[in-house]
Amino acid sequence: MSLGLTRAQWLAVLAVLVALALLPLGLKRFGIYMLSLWCVFVVAGHGLNLTMGYAGQISLGHAAFFGIGAYASALLVQAGWSFWLALPAAGAICVAAGLVVGFPALRVQHHYLAFATLGFNVLAWLFFRNEEWLTGGNFGVRNITRPALFGRSLDGDLAFFYACLALMAAASYATAWLLATPWGRAFAALRDNPIRAESLGIDIRAYTLAAFALGALYAGVAGAFFAPLVGYIDPSPFHLTHSLAFMMAIIVGGAGRFFGPFLGIAVLILLPEWLRGISGGALTRIAQEWYLVGFGVLVMAMVVWCPGGLLGLAGRLRRRA
Amino acid sequence: MRTRAYAASLVLALAAAPAAAQQTVKLFSIVELSGPGTTAGTNFKNGVELAVKEVNAAGGILGRRIATETYDTQTNPQTAKALAQKAVDSEAFAVMGPVFSGSIMVSMAETRRAGVPNFTGGEAAGITLQGNPYVFRTSFSQATGMPKLANYLASGLKVKSVAIVWVNNDFGKGGRDQMTKELAARNIKVAADVSTDQGQVDFAAAVLRAKQANADALFVYLNEDESARILRELRKQGYDRPIVGETTIMGQKVIDLAGEAANGVRGHVGLTIDAPNPAIRAFGAKFEKEYNYKSDHNGIKGYFAVFALKAATEKAGKLDRKAVAQALKNACYKTAEHPGLLMDVCFDDKGDIDRESFLVEVKGGKQVVVETLPPLSKR
Repeated sequence: MSLGLTRAQWLAVLAVLVALALLPLGLKRFGIYMLSLWCVFVVAGHGLNLTMGYAGQISLGHAAFFGIGAYASALLVQAGWSFWLALPAAGAICVAAGLVVGFPALRVQHHYLAFATLGFNVLAWLFFRNEEWLTGGNFGVRNITRPALFGRSLDGDLAFFYACLALMAAASYATAWLLATPWGRAFAALRDNPIRAESLGIDIRAYTLAAFALGALYAGVAGAFFAPLVGYIDPSPFHLTHSLAFMMAIIVGGAGRFFGPFLGIAVLILLPEWLRGISGGALTRIAQEWYLVGFGVLVMAMVVWCPGGLLGLAGRLRRRA
Repeated sequence: MRTRAYAASLVLALAAAPAAAQQTVKLFSIVELSGPGTTAGTNFKNGVELAVKEVNAAGGILGRRIATETYDTQTNPQTAKALAQKAVDSEAFAVMGPVFSGSIMVSMAETRRAGVPNFTGGEAAGITLQGNPYVFRTSFSQATGMPKLANYLASGLKVKSVAIVWVNNDFGKGGRDQMTKELAARNIKVAADVSTDQGQVDFAAAVLRAKQANADALFVYLNEDESARILRELRKQGYDRPIVGETTIMGQKVIDLAGEAANGVRGHVGLTIDAPNPAIRAFGAKFEKEYNYKSDHNGIKGYFAVFALKAATEKAGKLDRKAVAQALKNACYKTAEHPGLLMDVCFDDKGDIDRESFLVEVKGGKQVVVETLPPLSKR
């Protein structure tokens, strides 16, 4: 499938993939871990970008889907399942949850939808914390093992990074493919003007539900990789604040733009770690201490002046030049 | 164009590589400097830094200077794990912290894998139950502290029923479970079992429930910041039964924040700068001079950790991580040889410690030691 890319563009994609694959060779475990986290979060970011960026459905429950996927895979693996069976199972559970959360979206929009999905996130988080018999409550699920693939253990950091990179590449390809199909255009139509979309024969009910189900699927699969990557899960990374962080990452990167999640997640996850790592003069110290403030201001500035995010900004500057 | 720019930024983002220094003992503090654990983490870090300064002034460990680096976990277990990896990558000789139990539970897998001794301020019982040969406590586990407090409730205060208010995180839940068990063993009824959230601000409902339970005493088991808030609320609602706690609620930071409302609180603490012990008093004075505030138990933990590392390294006779971890197993260290330890201490085979502890009461904005309890092994 060409996805509308020229040969040169395909070569560029390939070059970036090779560069990413070679990047960890110069890094130690910390760097490889951060890169793996980036890959996993980008997959979840694609999901939210589909739901929110392309289909226009505000979701403040993305961390909950991410958590459901993580818990489902971790608990199934601990119950003796193979990871490669637990992965689709976690995805399926998330699709089901996504459909359920999608129903309010048929009735309400914008702020009200934000509230409904926010409620879902709080509910899921309380479930993770309080149902100790299943999730381990505050003590979490420990010693989550990493899977093997074709008889090769992915336990090593580099091996698991390549698994995460492969997942990210596959998820990115699937997203690009989806966006090139009539589905992608239907999502955009739904976002821009639901009434016009319906008058053109698009079943907005089905597409709204699908937007949530698909977003949840991406988050669930990413969560399923997150659990063995960290090796331990407790309720904290699936709190509402992380749903907000997901949303901000998508907005900063550029909502409704294919490369938005790559950039937004990098700003969210890699940038603070990089700032932490460099020691230097007063300027660096200021950057370290004011990072969160800067990030917040950036999000606000983006929403007001540049709804297209950093990618939109780049495009704007290029047009002006 | 777009892709290239982003790839370039990524390469840049990961290019920072720490330089290695050979002649120093590298110590990494991985502590809570922001988020709900800020009070605990900051005290612990300051304790570590004060001790390092003293050790370096006296010639270091086996003639080598200690170099410290400090990272902030944001009270987030995943960040703590990443930072522990970073410390390992930078060839840490030992890691100090994190203090919060949830964080050390995750990060200690990294130091274990690399064989780096890791001192923690965490008190959850589970930390030393994983068979990790590289993790060492700097304070009692809940499995040690709770029985001592339950004894006090049963024979000291002679109560028949207790209301429990606890924080619903791994620290609070672990302590509450342990205490419930200890109370049942002493035929003390739990009249109310009130769970609260980490970072909770309003304790009106929790205090009301505790009051309505009409128990003989109230056991509060929260982190520092929340402890201060509930004490103010208890005073506001005129709670008049004994308020007891384990370590956190009698902390100096809590007393500072709660003000007058902290008076009358009593309970068991493993460490306090008001202990009737000249070495601890001297530490308290030095700490206050250095940082302009009074240390709580976490400051002592951090200080102790550095001297425990020094004592074990000197016993091992070489800068060898494995030998140092070995030297901390089933070993006792005396203040006569290692004054920085502040109190005689014994480590068991799991990394748990045993030493004297104290029953205290808050009077006039200060912890007052009512009784010194002997180490468990001496009873």
